[in-house]
Amino acid sequence: MTIAAETSFVLRYFNVIGRAEGCRMLLTAANANWTEENPEWPAAKEKQPFGRLPVLVEKSGNGDEWIICETGTIERYLARTFGFLPADLKGAAEQEQMSDQHADLTEAFLNMARATRDKEKLVEEFDALLGRMIGEHQKILSRNTCKNHLFGDSLTYGDIAFYTFYKLFIVYMPVYQNDIAGIVKAKMSPEIVALLASIEQEPLLAPHISKCESLAAQLTA
Amino acid sequence: MPNPTYILRYFPLVGLSEACRLLLTAANVEWTEEHPEWPQEKPNQPHGRLPVLVEKNPDGSPDFTITESCNIERYLARVYGFVPADPKQAARQEQICELMADVFSYLSGYIRASSDESKQMFLGKFEALLETLIEVQTKLIEGNGNNGRQFGDSLSYADMVAYGFYKKLMIAMARFDANVPKFV
Repeated sequence: MTIAAETSFVLRYFNVIGRAEGCRMLLTAANANWTEENPEWPAAKEKQPFGRLPVLVEKSGNGDEWIICETGTIERYLARTFGFLPADLKGAAEQEQMSDQHADLTEAFLNMARATRDKEKLVEEFDALLGRMIGEHQKILSRNTCKNHLFGDSLTYGDIAFYTFYKLFIVYMPVYQNDIAGIVKAKMSPEIVALLASIEQEPLLAPHISKCESLAAQLTA
Repeated sequence: MPNPTYILRYFPLVGLSEACRLLLTAANVEWTEEHPEWPQEKPNQPHGRLPVLVEKNPDGSPDFTITESCNIERYLARVYGFVPADPKQAARQEQICELMADVFSYLSGYIRASSDESKQMFLGKFEALLETLIEVQTKLIEGNGNNGRQFGDSLSYADMVAYGFYKKLMIAMARFDANVPKFV
């Protein structure tokens, strides 16, 4: 699917990894004309469609704006528009299901990290979910012929969602629970670490990756 | 070539699967529901959780199995044309469905929280986001010509998700006085 050359995008979010990293990476990989806005908060809350961030503004050449929100929706829209999800509905569902599972795990983690009671049970449940998630990544990778990607032989939404998941838990989530990076790293296989390093080297992602700390370096340290 | 047939695996509850059931019904395909022994069947599911959708193809190709309720809903909606193929129109429906899922997450958080402060926190977030949802959905229906639909003239993916959402909300929060939108 092609998009008009004069189209530009604005991604509105806070100046943190948070929920926007997948969107940033997709816009970068798409070689889209995009900028990021970090609105004053909560002053800008009422101006957003659902009072929340992230928000994506797509501007056509004549200045018309089309606005969408909700993290997963923005990611899937960008992925479809720029060809990072297959047109084949089954193939797309396989990648989206992995991303949905990441979102579940993120929610479970935040609930656990913020809990003040019955924490042991939440820790146990989260640990089981995390183990299963990483096991699923390993299974997907083992099934794929090309070991530099999770699906097929070129950069996909799945690769970006996978990279974003580990970046979120290793680089960002320690602010909520300082031992989480170690917990996640301990469950990762060498193949997963190698795949993350490979994705990080993707030329399409370079403009964004070059501005960030290397995830691969943190994993091999 | 006849349509595929489906198995929806879930618990015998409204829960997370009502929109899936509506989509399968509206698609007019052959489908059955399985209620696996739980937790014995947990390790046999792709993510160790339910719902799971199994698609059986009449041409003899292997079963196609997917999981995650929202993912199943989107897949069925796309295959059977309840959401437009155009990514912009699809995104408009998906964003409201994702908002509903977020509202229900806060409600689940409230129900599962064990400390009073957690419960208060989740309840506050749930109420605020539910108000946003109702405001957004009401505007959507009014903007669509007040025809009892959120998008276009016929039953859409978003309509079925909305029905499933409000049904599970009412059941889960029997004591809660929700301001129910006009089309339910």
